[in-house]
Amino acid sequence: MVTPVTDTVAPRHPLARSTWRAPSRDARDTLFMLALIGWTITPHLFHLPLWVTGLSLVVLVWRGWLGWRQEPLPGRATVLGLLGLAAVLTFTGEKTLVSKDAGVTLLVVLMALKTLELRARRDALVVFFLGFFLVLTTFLYSQSFLTAVGTGVSVWGWLTALTLAHIPAGRPTIRQAAGLAGRAALIGTPVMIALFLLFPRIGPLWPSGNTATRTGLSDHLELGSVADLASDDSIAFRIRFDGRAPAAARLYFRGPVLTDTDGHEWRAQSLFGGRSPRSNGLRSVNVEQRGKPTAYEMTLEPTQLTWLSMLELTPPQSAGRGVDASQGVQALDGADVQPLADLDLQWRTRRPITQRVRLRATAWLDDRIVGAQPADLRENLALPPQFFPRTRAWARQWLHDHPGRPQQGQAIDVDGVVQSLYGYIGSGGFSYTLSPGAYEGDPVDEFWLDRKVGFCEHFATAFVVVLRAMGIPARLVTGYQGTDPDPVDGYYVVRQSNAHAWAEYWNPDRGWVRADPTAAVAPDRIERGRAIQPRPGFVGNAIDSLSPGMVERMRTWRETLDNRWKDWVLGYNRNSQFDLLKKLGVSTPDSDDLGRVLMTVISVAALFGAGAAWWDSHRRTPGQRQTRRLASALRALQVHGVQVAAHESPGVVAASLRRRFGTAADGLAARLESMERQRYGPAGDAAAPDWRGVKAQARALAVALATAARAGGVTPARASP
Amino acid sequence: MLPRESQTLTQRNIYIVPSRAGLAFCLTLLLLLVVSINYQLSLGFALTFLLAGSAAASMHMTHGSLRGLTLHLKPLVPAFDGDAAVMEMVVTNPGASRLGVGFGLDLGARPIPLAYAEIAAQGQTSVHLGWLAPGRGLHGLPLVRAESRYPFGLFRAWTIWRPAGQQWVYPRPESPVPPWPQTDVAQGDDKPAARTGAGTEFEGVRAYRRGDTLRQVVWKKAARTGEMISRETAGAVQREMWLQWGQAQGLDTEARLSRLAAWAIAADAAGHSWGLRLPNAELAPAQGAAHRHAALQALAAW
Repeated sequence: MVTPVTDTVAPRHPLARSTWRAPSRDARDTLFMLALIGWTITPHLFHLPLWVTGLSLVVLVWRGWLGWRQEPLPGRATVLGLLGLAAVLTFTGEKTLVSKDAGVTLLVVLMALKTLELRARRDALVVFFLGFFLVLTTFLYSQSFLTAVGTGVSVWGWLTALTLAHIPAGRPTIRQAAGLAGRAALIGTPVMIALFLLFPRIGPLWPSGNTATRTGLSDHLELGSVADLASDDSIAFRIRFDGRAPAAARLYFRGPVLTDTDGHEWRAQSLFGGRSPRSNGLRSVNVEQRGKPTAYEMTLEPTQLTWLSMLELTPPQSAGRGVDASQGVQALDGADVQPLADLDLQWRTRRPITQRVRLRATAWLDDRIVGAQPADLRENLALPPQFFPRTRAWARQWLHDHPGRPQQGQAIDVDGVVQSLYGYIGSGGFSYTLSPGAYEGDPVDEFWLDRKVGFCEHFATAFVVVLRAMGIPARLVTGYQGTDPDPVDGYYVVRQSNAHAWAEYWNPDRGWVRADPTAAVAPDRIERGRAIQPRPGFVGNAIDSLSPGMVERMRTWRETLDNRWKDWVLGYNRNSQFDLLKKLGVSTPDSDDLGRVLMTVISVAALFGAGAAWWDSHRRTPGQRQTRRLASALRALQVHGVQVAAHESPGVVAASLRRRFGTAADGLAARLESMERQRYGPAGDAAAPDWRGVKAQARALAVALATAARAGGVTPARASP
Repeated sequence: MLPRESQTLTQRNIYIVPSRAGLAFCLTLLLLLVVSINYQLSLGFALTFLLAGSAAASMHMTHGSLRGLTLHLKPLVPAFDGDAAVMEMVVTNPGASRLGVGFGLDLGARPIPLAYAEIAAQGQTSVHLGWLAPGRGLHGLPLVRAESRYPFGLFRAWTIWRPAGQQWVYPRPESPVPPWPQTDVAQGDDKPAARTGAGTEFEGVRAYRRGDTLRQVVWKKAARTGEMISRETAGAVQREMWLQWGQAQGLDTEARLSRLAAWAIAADAAGHSWGLRLPNAELAPAQGAAHRHAALQALAAW
């Protein structure tokens, strides 16, 4: 029995009907929400299967069409059928329904299908909350600045949709709703900043298996995996040297050392475990000290891996040299990573690197690992029996044909053989390419003897196989080589595309010596430290032809921005929180201090809110303000029976004063009348109202009246007609 | 709660709690926070906290959309039994425009159905709220509730107002109007008809007055003197009509009241002078709206 009366329908111009019919408010709101859902799921479409894109798009367009035509929505059976289909497709594609990708796939499909159940605006709450969750899942894949801007638009849109749903009357424009939602978000921003800065950051509540995409080196290598990595232009880490940066050709970053092979795959020996016999032997790494130290600082991207790629060679503190505090690898900012090195100087952390970590370390570029155990060396000679028959034969033949072959009772001239192999690679028709095509059969045989087209990993593995076949202990080392040519904010950028593989062989006199066969075929790759670049796309080509170097410069700008973004926003962690507290004057900050500061800030903000509400509730219209001021200015006359009613303007009050008190009230009345002219008269008399004068005159009048009354005379009120 | 003629909404009489959607939103935020912590998503934290901040701001906006409004009840219009009694309220807004404020009457139904209004900045809007009174008589007004979930629906702010005033509900007039009671003149104590209007019986002459008909003019005299003279005549025989309880015999109480109400309205519409006689009350014959209301009120209260 409730009758809304304010809902009016604006009359439509008769001509307007024939050309374009504005959608009803419901249809408009629905279309807005569909567009918003489209915008929110767009970033997901790049990494989700194609059918998700298709299905979502079809459903959204279909729903939009139904909304536009105001036709009935499909029944529950259709929606459930589509959902079942999506679940089956997800399961066949992902083999599970609980992984991250599968979850996001289902979420996107669910979101699209939920629109088919969207009957009333207020029923849409599920969609709103699903929308906010979908925005969050975007961050599982990317947290770049661009993503932040895009999702910022999404959040604004969702708040706008939420606002539209709660203005049931009339036809508010989307711009109006967006303004209101934006205002709420803007008021909420200080709260966000305070919580972001001070909410205690804790580690994951439970281990999540497949967190983010892992890019980077791993403890095994199959031919082709480094090439995959090399086509990835994302940043692996940044490095800053204390002094001058060493030449690019000397910047080898040592990652996993791969010793064991089954013919196809090369594996690192398990670290920190008891399997390796070397744990019984040497307790510390033997490093031959040469040259000068190079101190550096590294900023690692969160790769979700435990591998570190330190500048060759970065020995641990226990390496037996004159120990000083600058040696070894130290995590800065109190990051909890505990870098550890093993005897092969592979560095690992105890836990995956889930946030940006800064490390400080000292390297000796000329150092070599010496003093290997015979058992270790035997492992570095092993070759799987059925593999590489032709390469082995070739190696024996080569050793036989070339100088440096072992004479009776003499050791091999290892360095000489390696040099001769360099010569073979340099002149043997090898070529270096990122996309050598797939190798079938025995990859090393095929590469070394037949096709001779390959990437650093092909050269390095073949090189190790050849050396082992000759009886020279050798192993494969993966890591990064070189940096971007110019530093950004003092940091040299090392990308995944700088990933590299090289070899190490054992020289009984010198220890483990690095051998990089890639340098023999593509010296440019090593000397300038330039990673192989995939060919730029069409747009890149066009920009580059207009302004040479533009693409490169734009990339530098983008990455500077990206670096700042990562430092200030993404890299903000527990340690940054404690630093902030230190700056605020807390000498030994802990979580309790964070909580205290946060509670203080929240209390102050709440007080502010209460104050604003109090102020708002005392807001008056100009008319109300004037009445109140008038009443308070004339309070002195209250005892003489002067009351100001809400509807009386200063002029009306003046007239009644004149009537009651006659000429005695002239001064006061004149002032009130001038006030009346100011407020209601023609423009031009724009002086501020003289409240003080009115008050003084009113007091004077009150005094005069009181004096007259005391004198026993006739009160002016009775004297005047 | 004392009944008031008007109510200004302030911190003292606006209540606010999170709505069910608000609680669901809270759970969503918790979920977002857990995911952000577990995947160490800095932007996830930012999103969660931005939403939390916006929700806190929306609480103030929800409260602010009611704060400062003044509700004022316009004079009540009596209703007939079975029809909706309509309360007209004027909502005065001293501040910025208010969107999504709903008004409803607390009649026991949950949720209370609301009529939404948009109140312009420093403007007034009238809101009509209808309700079905339980029967004829004089009834207290139901509680008025003004509610807002604007802008995000996460909080529900409301106020309750007991408007001062009482709603008359008259007996439902019988329809169609039954024939006039034949006994109206025959009743013994009927006084002689009052003569007031334009009749035919000659009584005297007087000067012409505007509005006299041509037939009233004494043309002979006018021709002789040039002055317009009118005859004064007696009006139509207008009896005072009495509507009486006994005239509606053979019916039950409510039907009798219905019939009397129908007669009263018909008599008033016909311009008769009529009186009402009930077993415990008597209304002297008269005419006009005030008389009609008095009679209908007497019937309603019987």
